[in-house]
Amino acid sequence: MSAVRFESVTKSYSGRPAVENVSLIVEKGERLTILGPSGCGKTTLLRLLAGFLTPDKGSILIDGELVARDGRNLRPAEERKLGMVFQDLALWPHLSVRGNLEFGLKARGLPRLQRRKRILEILRLVQMEASANSRIQELSGGQQQRVALARAIVLRPKALLMDEPLSNLDYDLNLRSREAILRLHGELGFTLLYVTHDRDEAFHIGTRVVVMRHGAVDRIGTPEEIREHFQQVSL
Amino acid sequence: MCKRAVLLTVVIILVVVGLLPVLVMFAKTLVTDGHFSFASYKALFSSGRQWVLLWHTLALSSLTTVLATLIGLPLGILLARTDLPLRRTLAVLFVIPLLIPPYVTAVSWFHILGREGFLSQLLGPAVGARTSGWLFGLPGCVLVLFSTFLPIVILLTMTYLKTVSPHLEEAGKLVGKWPRVLRQITVRLIMPGVLLGAMLVFLLSMGEFGVPTFLRYSVFPVESFTQFSAFYNFEAATAATIPLGVITLGLLAVERIFLRSKTYQLRPAGTDHQFPRIDLGSGRLWLFAIVSVLSFLIVVLPLLALVIESFSLSAFRGAFSRAGDSLVRSLTYAAIGASLLAIVGFFCGYLIHTRSLPLWRGVDSLTIFLFALPSTVIGIGLTTLWNRPSTNLIYATPVIIIFGYLAQYTALTSRITVTSLAQIPPSMEEAAQTAGAAWLRRTGFIIAPLAKRGLIAGWIVGFIFCLRDTGISMMVYPPGHDTFPVRIFTLMANGPPSLIAALCVTLVAATLLPLGILGFAFRQIRSHK
Amino acid sequence: MKVVAALTVIAVLICLSGCGRKGESPERKGEVVVYVSEDQVFSQPILMDFERETGIRVRAVCDTEEAKGTGTMNRLIAEKNNPQADVYWANEPIRAVVLKQRGISTPYFSSNAEGIPDIFKDPDGYWTGFSARARVFVVNKGSRNKPHSIAAYTDPAWNGKAVIANPLFGTTTTHTAALFTLYGDEKAKAFMNDLKKNAVKISTSNGESADLVASGEFAFSLVDSDDATNRMREGRPVEMIFPDQGQGELGCLIVPNAVVLIKDGPNPTNGKKLIDCLLSKETERKLALAACAQIPLHPGVPAPRELKPLDKIKTTEIDYEKVARKMQEIQPFLKDWVGY
Repeated sequence: MSAVRFESVTKSYSGRPAVENVSLIVEKGERLTILGPSGCGKTTLLRLLAGFLTPDKGSILIDGELVARDGRNLRPAEERKLGMVFQDLALWPHLSVRGNLEFGLKARGLPRLQRRKRILEILRLVQMEASANSRIQELSGGQQQRVALARAIVLRPKALLMDEPLSNLDYDLNLRSREAILRLHGELGFTLLYVTHDRDEAFHIGTRVVVMRHGAVDRIGTPEEIREHFQQVSL
Repeated sequence: MCKRAVLLTVVIILVVVGLLPVLVMFAKTLVTDGHFSFASYKALFSSGRQWVLLWHTLALSSLTTVLATLIGLPLGILLARTDLPLRRTLAVLFVIPLLIPPYVTAVSWFHILGREGFLSQLLGPAVGARTSGWLFGLPGCVLVLFSTFLPIVILLTMTYLKTVSPHLEEAGKLVGKWPRVLRQITVRLIMPGVLLGAMLVFLLSMGEFGVPTFLRYSVFPVESFTQFSAFYNFEAATAATIPLGVITLGLLAVERIFLRSKTYQLRPAGTDHQFPRIDLGSGRLWLFAIVSVLSFLIVVLPLLALVIESFSLSAFRGAFSRAGDSLVRSLTYAAIGASLLAIVGFFCGYLIHTRSLPLWRGVDSLTIFLFALPSTVIGIGLTTLWNRPSTNLIYATPVIIIFGYLAQYTALTSRITVTSLAQIPPSMEEAAQTAGAAWLRRTGFIIAPLAKRGLIAGWIVGFIFCLRDTGISMMVYPPGHDTFPVRIFTLMANGPPSLIAALCVTLVAATLLPLGILGFAFRQIRSHK
Repeated sequence: MKVVAALTVIAVLICLSGCGRKGESPERKGEVVVYVSEDQVFSQPILMDFERETGIRVRAVCDTEEAKGTGTMNRLIAEKNNPQADVYWANEPIRAVVLKQRGISTPYFSSNAEGIPDIFKDPDGYWTGFSARARVFVVNKGSRNKPHSIAAYTDPAWNGKAVIANPLFGTTTTHTAALFTLYGDEKAKAFMNDLKKNAVKISTSNGESADLVASGEFAFSLVDSDDATNRMREGRPVEMIFPDQGQGELGCLIVPNAVVLIKDGPNPTNGKKLIDCLLSKETERKLALAACAQIPLHPGVPAPRELKPLDKIKTTEIDYEKVARKMQEIQPFLKDWVGY
């Protein structure tokens, strides 16, 4: 059973299609990067999956369950059990690092001891144990990154969605963050959907790359296949 | 869905508390002797004189609004963003006239500019005659209402300035000097706040009746008033408020059209990025002098006139013995009113901001309409609706006063909430959704804390307006439970001027003191964190 | 959010605890609800004395300066179907008549009303007058001639020298309506128009009229006796003249306070006790001594020293019921006359 499935999904804004007839299967545990220039529909696709948007036509399935179809959201965003790292990170400034991580766990109804355990676990994984009680404002850019990542995966989501999460980082930090993501994936084995406009990122992170253009899927393939294709096209 | 349920409940509360009594009143205007008729409306505009009155009202409101906006906007910027000396003190000074019933301010000015006022005693009766002639009429009314409502524009400007993303200004500063940046970037960005302030000032001036009557400038609300006071004809009195309601809806439409296609990049809430402080340079002392003189003229002078009149310990003792109990009640009611206004306003503002229900526009219009409606109409509507043996728990208790506050002032907290919600990036709520939080949890634990500044500002504004309220309280207070401003007014009738002055000074202190204490407490909490 | 909620709960509890008494039968607890049009400065001491002497708690609703009587009357009328008040203390009888006409009051003949001249009482007992003001001239002492009749208002010798309060509000309305019943419509309208021709200034209140005369700007004005008395006591250069005291003349219009028992009020027994108190000679004595300087209607109670006792004044023969009805009739004419 695939983790995520898009079936002929279309979404338009004021008459113009942002996503047009996209069909896509994401297998469990794979790392899928969606590559394309701004406006190509990649972020829209992600938000459709997250549940912030409703597809005008087509269906979306998560773990085999129909969550949206033809203009109706059958499962609201809060019930889709996905994790997401936003472009602006969206860390809650009025809560500490612990508070940010605990929020979802509390919503799930986990008892305190279990929450503490999970939070400790995840902080260790992203190497942020020392900052458990820090305010978000006190953290550096890279540290905030890691917290955002931790917050997304502490809930053991069915899939992790990342929307251009590294675009604000400098080159070194960017590389190190990519390594961290890959390491985490290796340890935890989650399904990853990663949206970016940066080719290097896409090829580095993805096991499969989807190239989007003008709202439609242009090409799907392994990073090597896509790299070759680009080289050919530029000739 | 939980969200729908809560929002609908709040809308229902608003409708039951605010709209229903007004609907009952207006329904009655259409019934005469048991059948449908427009008899109550016949008197309206039957004489040409009423058009003149309407013109007078519009002139007064427009002049006051223009003046308050033209001066309030730069003042707000000066007090919030520059290095003007004594900014905080000046800001508090300018707010004081808002706390005093405008009628009392008018009387203060009479003591200064009247034929036998201070000025005439100082400079001779000829000057007194001239200033008196100037005071009684449109100029005097504008002076009083301008000084009373100017703080609204200042406060809103200062609040909205906090929502501007400093990056936009910084970008502007790279290519231009401050005056240009302010004019072309900052002011444009805070336009919604300025417009809201202007609209509120216009509506408040339009509904003013006591001041123009005292200063002998005939305005439209007199029609409604005389129907109440001479004929006790509720139907005709209510019908006479329709033109004001029409003007209100017109203003709302203008505001909507103006703001329709504008989107504003706002500074993310919760970040404490420091705003660039504008260096006034050589102009600093000049501007300080001008602002100080202005504050002296419109705030300190009338206040002094009050204080001098009340300058005796016995007057204050008399004030406390005659009115002490009502002061405690007022503070309690205002605190409760402000809290409920903050809650109801929050959800109304949320509804308007997110447009979650199709009637969001109606809710916004309703709150503004109720804000503009003369309090007598709301008051009698509330009485007509709730004065039944079965609802004694509401009518015969202070609860009815709180209903009145909710009806009249929700517009303020609702609109403030809309602004503070607009500051929150949508991703904040989306992240909460993804984390699995249902609507109530994420609204309570994520949205509300991020909108904390707006909630607090709304509470303070609600507190000020509830405390200074006379119109609603006067009409519905349960016997023996009068509020402080009402007590001031009842004692004003032939009360010794020193007593009245002492009461007003007490009112100002009673409003500023709790706010000052709260502000101090908050700052302590913040520094301890 | 939690803090706000907690504060609200606490505040609501405090508030409710303060007003929980309404639930029990107030009669047993000894309470009376009175709506007052008399200035609170003067009514408050009387009511506090009553509370102290009888132990009955007084809860009052008062009128404000700004609204000039909108509050209490409108509340009484709006509350007709479920009255909250027991007693209405009106500062002139016309309002009491309006309440009678609208079926809001109920008759009560107090034993303390004995001695009060019948003209100041409703024959059916719906209201009883006490502690009155007189409509008098306040005249600037510097004035060579003095007016002795309201006809002075239309006398060209006084052109531009007289002032009168806005006849749309307060006692001036009552007085104007009284003139209409006494003169008849035509003569009264002519009188009003002549007033205009004689450049009579319209002020906003009796108090203002009195001040204008005291300052010397105008020679005389028709005001309430307490306005004149106050200026005299302040040492201003004014004197008081009772108009139309001669043979065959109209006499001076007396405007008494009036007390009304509200129909179906919550505490009728206590209401009657309060009415008895207000109609007592003791109350009249206090109101005569107070700054409001009101003329007692009971014989034998000393009048304020600036004024004459009732039996020494030629008073206007008037039917307050007729005046009340006339008042409502002439409103359109008055509005037009004032310029609204």
